[in-house]
Amino acid sequence: MEMRRNLRSLVIWSAIIGLLIFFTMSFFRSVLQYQQQIAGMVQLIPAMALKMRGFSNINDLFSVIGFYTANNLIYMMLLGSIFAIVLSSNILLKEEYGKTAEYLMSRPVTRREIFTTKMTLAFLNIILLNLMATLIGFISIMVYKKGSFSIHPFLVISFYTLLLNLVFGALGLFISVLMKRARPITSFCVALVMVLYFLYTISRMSGVDGTFGYLSPFKWVNVDVLSPSYGIEFGRTLAFLGTTLLLILASGLLYRRKDILT
Amino acid sequence: MNVIEISRLAKYYRRSRGIEDITLNVPQGDIFGFIGPNGAGKSTTIRILLNLIFPTSGNASVFGLDVVRDSWKIRKRLGYVPSDANLYDRMTVMEFLKFGAAFYGAENNHERIHHLLELFDLDPGRKIPELSMGNKKKVSIIQAMVHRPELLILDEPTSGLDPLIQSRFFDLLHEENRNGTTVFFSSHTLSEVQVFCKTVGIVKEGKIVNVEEIASLRKKQLKKVRILFPVERNIADFGMDGIGPVESGRGKNLVFFYSGDINALIGRLSVEQIDNLSIEEPPLEEIFLHYYQ
Repeated sequence: MEMRRNLRSLVIWSAIIGLLIFFTMSFFRSVLQYQQQIAGMVQLIPAMALKMRGFSNINDLFSVIGFYTANNLIYMMLLGSIFAIVLSSNILLKEEYGKTAEYLMSRPVTRREIFTTKMTLAFLNIILLNLMATLIGFISIMVYKKGSFSIHPFLVISFYTLLLNLVFGALGLFISVLMKRARPITSFCVALVMVLYFLYTISRMSGVDGTFGYLSPFKWVNVDVLSPSYGIEFGRTLAFLGTTLLLILASGLLYRRKDILT
Repeated sequence: MNVIEISRLAKYYRRSRGIEDITLNVPQGDIFGFIGPNGAGKSTTIRILLNLIFPTSGNASVFGLDVVRDSWKIRKRLGYVPSDANLYDRMTVMEFLKFGAAFYGAENNHERIHHLLELFDLDPGRKIPELSMGNKKKVSIIQAMVHRPELLILDEPTSGLDPLIQSRFFDLLHEENRNGTTVFFSSHTLSEVQVFCKTVGIVKEGKIVNVEEIASLRKKQLKKVRILFPVERNIADFGMDGIGPVESGRGKNLVFFYSGDINALIGRLSVEQIDNLSIEEPPLEEIFLHYYQ
């Protein structure tokens, strides 16, 4: 039932993100066509602004994976994270403010079962959205690429994006169990993602890998897809998975002792 | 054997009081009325029994099982009708009932479901959002009874039901009770407690003020006394215990409630010059008001 309730939202978000990716990738061939003019124009743009946009080097723009990462990752990183936090923050809380928690929790089910089922469904939706976006991203690359394309960095960046979205999923769950009085917290969660994304952007603009940037999970994603050594790093993966697991564990413990006030 | 045992139960929401001191037992097979004004703590007590909220102090057990530790096992054996019928939408009545019954493995109990649907005159094909509040309440009642629970916890179950359906509902509850179901019935409507319940627990400002059988509450507790004197008198001059509340305490006509030994009252009045005396059993409503004041 819960899956059915979230299906429409998943389809809409997948369609929006998929269309944005496909639409943006459709400009790649034009970029290649006007490579010299664009390179000349870009030289006039301050380096800081380029970094903010996700380019470390102008040549990033002329490789299909560099173009994809610089232009499309924002959709999955930002929109995907918003989807994840909104979905997971509501999945338990909506039973409370929708006043159906009283019905559900008077059934012979344990809180652990409710928590585990709802969390699994939220994470399944996040994974499905990422799979859809990755598939659409891959198809759009295959359609618009010129020359060779290595799938390895594409899969790595998609994996990092998934981990990022899962962190926000766990964060949404955690915030929702902290709420004493049930009310929708969508606006707060969206604002939180935006603030963390802003923090990440600022830290990229400054060009300094200061510790404050790492307060934002966006910073934990390695977007340097054109680096020859680009791959899945143990430290970053541990940071993502460790944070996700800690937030889930804390949420589960808090939920077991939470007063359900409907 | 007691189905529900509550001992010195308290619940505070930060500084505000939910309940302060609730102690009561509900024996197996009883129809227990839990009565009190709005905000007295009835729903808070029920929510603790269902483990929706956690007690600040005290203990509560149902079927001898701790309500916090063994809540899952308890809920398997009870049915609950909340005061507000908030149901999942996007379902028909039948889908909702089967969904609820599936938690108890009773989703294929078609005969029982159809019997209850007919009794409450409910269309199983209607969508939940299309239902009136009264019909939602009916669905809420049916879902609590499909799996034939050993204990029914009902929180203001008759609100929104028309008199005919209320009557059918009470008949059904009596039938279930005869078959062994214990009923815990929370209400602030005196008349339904009076006709339906065997025992009543009166809750006021988070505390139990009395637990009594309805019959004995009527018989032995409170008497309404009217005395007509030839001269003006003051009730304070009598100096007796058990007097109160007083409706008319000065003048020739004194009217008051008396909850002490009736022989002591008669003995005291025998030395007085009186024109008329009546001692009557007050209506149940006045008895409850006595506790609330």
